[in-house]
Amino acid sequence: MMWYNIFKFEIKYRIKRPDTYVFFIFLFLFSIVGVDFVFQGVELGGVKKNSSLVIAKTMGAITGIFMILASMIMGVSVLRDFTYQIESLMFVNPIKKRDYLLGRFLGSFAVLFFVFSGVFFGMVLGEFMPWHDPNDYVDFNLFAYLKSFITITLPVLFFGASLFFVSGALSKNLVVVYTQGVVFFVIFILTKSISNEFLQAILDPFSLTTLSLATESWSVVEKNGQLIPLSNVLLYNKLFWSILGVLILAIGYKRFNFNVIKSKRFRRRKHQVIDIQDNAARITAIPEFKLQESWMSKWTQLKQFTWFYFIGICKQASFWGIVICGMIIILINSVSLGTVYGVDSYPATYFIVEELQETSIYFFIIIVLFYSGELVWKERTVKLHLIYDATPMSSFVNLLGKYLGLMLICIVLMVSLIVSGVIFQTLSGYYNYEFHVYLYGFFLEILPFLGLYSLVAFFVQSLINNKFIAIMVMLVLFISVIALGLFGFDHDLYFFGGASLHTYSDMNGYGHFLAPYLLIKSYWFLFGMFLLILGSLLLARGTETSFITRLRMIRSRMSKPLLACTGGMLVLFILFGSYIFYNTNILNVYWTASEVTQFRAGYEKTLKKLEYVPQPKIVDVNLTVELYPSERNYTAEGYYILKNTTESAIGEVHIQKLIESNVSLTNVTFEGGATPNTQYSTYNYTIYKLNRALQPNDTITMRFKQTFTTNGFTTSGSNVNIVENGTFFNNKDFPTIGYNRKYELQDSDERADFQLPERSNRASIDDEIELQSARSGGDSDGINFEIIIGTAMDQTAIAPGVLLKQWEEGNRWYFQYKMNQPMIDFYSIVSARYEVKEDRWLSKTDATSHPVDLEIYYHADHHYNIDRMMTSMKASLDYYSANFSPYQYEQIRIMEFPRYAQFAQSFPGTVPFSEAIGFVLDIDDEKDVDMAFYVTAHELAHQWFGMQVEAANVQGRHLILETLSQYAAIMVLKQHYSEEKVQQFLALQYKKYREGQGKDASQEPSLALVENQDYIYYAKGAIAMHTLQETIGEEAVNNALKQFLEDWNSLDGTLKTLTKRYATTKDLLGYFRDVTPNDLQHIITELFESVEELKGNE
Amino acid sequence: MELIIDNLSKTYSNGVKALQNISLEIPKGMFGLLGPNGAGKSTLMRTIATLQEADQGAVLFGELDVLKQKNEVRKMLGYLPQQFGLYPKISAEVLLNHFAILKGITNKSERKDVVSALLHKTNLYDVRRQNLGGYSGGMKQRFGIAQALLNNPKLLIVDEPTAGLDPVERNRFYNILSELGENTIVILSTHIVEDVKELCTSMAIINEGKVLLKGNPLKIIEDLEGKVYQKTIEKPQLESYKKEYQVISERLFLGKPIIHILSDVNPGNGFSLVNADLEDVYFSQIFGNSTNLKSAI
Repeated sequence: MMWYNIFKFEIKYRIKRPDTYVFFIFLFLFSIVGVDFVFQGVELGGVKKNSSLVIAKTMGAITGIFMILASMIMGVSVLRDFTYQIESLMFVNPIKKRDYLLGRFLGSFAVLFFVFSGVFFGMVLGEFMPWHDPNDYVDFNLFAYLKSFITITLPVLFFGASLFFVSGALSKNLVVVYTQGVVFFVIFILTKSISNEFLQAILDPFSLTTLSLATESWSVVEKNGQLIPLSNVLLYNKLFWSILGVLILAIGYKRFNFNVIKSKRFRRRKHQVIDIQDNAARITAIPEFKLQESWMSKWTQLKQFTWFYFIGICKQASFWGIVICGMIIILINSVSLGTVYGVDSYPATYFIVEELQETSIYFFIIIVLFYSGELVWKERTVKLHLIYDATPMSSFVNLLGKYLGLMLICIVLMVSLIVSGVIFQTLSGYYNYEFHVYLYGFFLEILPFLGLYSLVAFFVQSLINNKFIAIMVMLVLFISVIALGLFGFDHDLYFFGGASLHTYSDMNGYGHFLAPYLLIKSYWFLFGMFLLILGSLLLARGTETSFITRLRMIRSRMSKPLLACTGGMLVLFILFGSYIFYNTNILNVYWTASEVTQFRAGYEKTLKKLEYVPQPKIVDVNLTVELYPSERNYTAEGYYILKNTTESAIGEVHIQKLIESNVSLTNVTFEGGATPNTQYSTYNYTIYKLNRALQPNDTITMRFKQTFTTNGFTTSGSNVNIVENGTFFNNKDFPTIGYNRKYELQDSDERADFQLPERSNRASIDDEIELQSARSGGDSDGINFEIIIGTAMDQTAIAPGVLLKQWEEGNRWYFQYKMNQPMIDFYSIVSARYEVKEDRWLSKTDATSHPVDLEIYYHADHHYNIDRMMTSMKASLDYYSANFSPYQYEQIRIMEFPRYAQFAQSFPGTVPFSEAIGFVLDIDDEKDVDMAFYVTAHELAHQWFGMQVEAANVQGRHLILETLSQYAAIMVLKQHYSEEKVQQFLALQYKKYREGQGKDASQEPSLALVENQDYIYYAKGAIAMHTLQETIGEEAVNNALKQFLEDWNSLDGTLKTLTKRYATTKDLLGYFRDVTPNDLQHIITELFESVEELKGNE
Repeated sequence: MELIIDNLSKTYSNGVKALQNISLEIPKGMFGLLGPNGAGKSTLMRTIATLQEADQGAVLFGELDVLKQKNEVRKMLGYLPQQFGLYPKISAEVLLNHFAILKGITNKSERKDVVSALLHKTNLYDVRRQNLGGYSGGMKQRFGIAQALLNNPKLLIVDEPTAGLDPVERNRFYNILSELGENTIVILSTHIVEDVKELCTSMAIINEGKVLLKGNPLKIIEDLEGKVYQKTIEKPQLESYKKEYQVISERLFLGKPIIHILSDVNPGNGFSLVNADLEDVYFSQIFGNSTNLKSAI
């Protein structure tokens, strides 16, 4: 049969080609680490690495990533005849279209299948790799791999094969084939934004979301044990794509014909130029000119090249194809901007920029990868290279011109992205275009990254004399760099390109991150230029393409000016590198990830034994803090008063200084004297032997001075707390007493590596020792507090307490705060340039209560939601003081801090609130829940649940702190908004609960025994409490809480004083039971003590 | 300035000995390199054009070592390869201008004049704004020579420039070449014997990497004068004639083979004396074993 002959020939042809094997080996090797790569950084929970779900997803992902191989293999199938110009010979033969197409398709597909079988073999082999932890794996099941390969990979491969085969056969243009690859990728990204889950699952070409949806309700055990059945969504998905593939083949078959002229559809007809006959000999003298060689002339050449290559790319249809695809994706993704809690933010410029960056980066990378190859090969592709190479043109100037041309393209694209961003903002009615943010975001953050990678791309293309292999190598390099980073090899001096620029904040701009960033980028840029120069020397020139010959010819190709350039750059490179090293490793301490882990393990091994040594508690704090925001330094000087609350004398005080090299603790003195024991100084842990032992109930004053100094800059991860505008840190930075658990290793794998015992995140609810602490390493039961803060002239500094006075001294501004009643030992220090909105609250119900000053400190431009917050503060105070207990302080302050962190936190009377989660939210009262309002209410509730009553440091702690605050906030929300909004909010919580569940490996605990599972104490808790008050009534719940507060508050709670411990959920649930009628008692158990999954109430 | 090729050898990695100890002295004027396909002409041209390395030997252009001082040579070099393509979507004017910059004519006004003049010279001025994709083969070749002449080269290398051109185009091409200054060395490679006869003042015949014959065309023909005989025969007779006589060429005319033979004396048998032709020389070199010819300068 004719088609069989054509099929055999195709296979024979491919077998001889090295790239068939290169592709296979590449996929094989990659798949060995496929699972690790795809799931790197993803919280698998308890799902094993060779569960059928993980296998299926990995196969799907790998197939997706390397679809481009399919386009390379299938696209050239028919196209080949045209590329090698053999089509005239081929098509005049008496072969039927059917035989030709079928034979070619099957032959190429067989090869494609072979190549992708590398994924199968690689993954199977990958399971047996020695570096795997056997705990992560279930028993080896070959069938799981086989089934995945057949059901997941094959259909997609078939579809891709059909698509690329047909597009190659019909368009006869390789560029169209590759653009199809990009379009395919685009479709994949588009499917991500389909909100209908079912539809999305069907349309997902690599079936990743399909698999998620199919196993959505599976437990962890099921995910590990069962094979994924080919049914339902998965079946529909596979059917859909397979049928689509067949359809495409059918269309292709119909449309194809054995014409050798490319059909009109895909090319505009070439305009034939009419030659003018002129037989007279034209004797024309060539005018005089001079051949230039100077720098000036090289500069002219460079300009010419840059412009020439830039225009060249602009003229390519494929380029516009990629651009249009990119624009479409961005358009679709821009619909949801800066979404937090389901609410969109105002289209502040940095949101737009971040959004654009995130999506466009892939397209820029595609453009760089693809066009760097096209440009380097431009002359060779049209066979013009011999003429070029015979001219005295400098290879380096030419290569540089190509590089700059590509960069010019990127710049033009970025400008158009900026323009579209501005248009978007205008259409949304937002006119605060901060052009500098646009410029920084693109030209400072992305362009250098692209520029560096392009330099490498050009180098690789020059080195490897094969366009496709070079692209593959670039991809591998790219992936390796990311992998290196993930493994902790991320020092800016050897991590290619250095770190990315830190987040932009309206409050602090790019702060102190910008200068080091620029320096590091320049350093890498110099390196990149070396590569480019080397590339230009290695570039195949003339007909000598063998690598050895090119190496030998470097010597003769190096010209004097080039040598001078390189020398100069080398000097600069060393200079920059040394300066960077000096800053990161000499002025500051550089720790590799493994050094950090070792240190932490050492901390625990050495000091854990001292954890429960009896220590005094802090009862009084009096400090003077001098903040220097522009230098990013501070000094804190003052004293703690320590009291012995135990039954026996205490001879030693253990002080833990914050483990950070910028922080130094000096002048530590104790009343009556003490001798320091520095045997643990490696861990910044000093034991002070008191000259006279501290007797029970006695106090002793401890004086100290702490200095925070910023020197030079560090590698990424430099401090974000003490910044130029928006300083925010809390007292855990100051010296603490005794062993600190936070320095322990948390990851169970790492702990196993160091033979450390398993660590629970929360002590058992019956743990006697921890019942006496309100928080980890609790070194206080409540303090008296007074502080003086000095800061820059134009900033406001805020700490808990009444503002006694403020004054100017030495061109600085000073604030003195004092708390008139005891407060928990947890306070923040904030300083920035603020606008302030002030108001006053007076209780409507209690005539005896004192007025409360309400203050909101915000960044001048962020005035959008201040009123909402103010309203919420008043509404919360109304509700809480009426239903729980009177508010204990004289003021309540909300302070905005930069969006480096995205949370809000409650301290006594003060609530630092991140820029990102409330101040710029664009709240549509119809569509959205007023999250600015809600978060304010939640944080205010903490003044009760957290400050008034504290929870013991055992399981269930966060039920008391967080869940109760959720409840309180929901009640305030209900008062002010409709029940509908509450339901909307609860729906969001349910979603979060499910998401959290899916990621949790361990057994889901009950609310009463919750440890650190935030999806339980925030999300499930909110729903549980809401259900409770629906069932037994709001008043009943409030009465229970009121009583709970009375009995257990830290100041004078009767039960607390009696039992000498903090409250637990056992206590709390007792109060709930007290207010619940007998026939409904079970609800307490159901909601709080059972581990049954919450049912959705959609 | 002279171009001296001294004992040049090159063997490709697949074992093919492209050049075997080639030695030539090429003076100013048109030099013809004649040889069949695969003789090594293009390899030789590319080596002189600084695009290829040699295994052994040297090439000297005046005082310059062509193999080692490539960039210096390129400043004076014009090269027209045997096969080349052009960017289809660019106009002749733009691309020619681009090449001018490549060659170092960076002064804008000077460049403008040169480009304009060359476009006139190659009769492409009226279609200079049209895209090269629409040019015919002849027009593309003219463009090719235009770019080669941009920097007023002292050494012009044209590799099989008239293959595939119709007779009118061929003529035009040679007209352009013949206008070149007397101080230029032009090396023209071809397998069309006519071209060499029409244009070249010196020539060499090369086959299988070796120089078979070199010298002035007229002198070379002179050596064969009086020794070439011609006869029209029947096709089946061809084999026996080949055995009996020194047949140097066979052609068809009106369907019947005409053979040329070499003979010191009149062979009779219906043979008539004809004027020796360069083709005879060529064929005799390539196919025959002529012991009577000697190298003549």
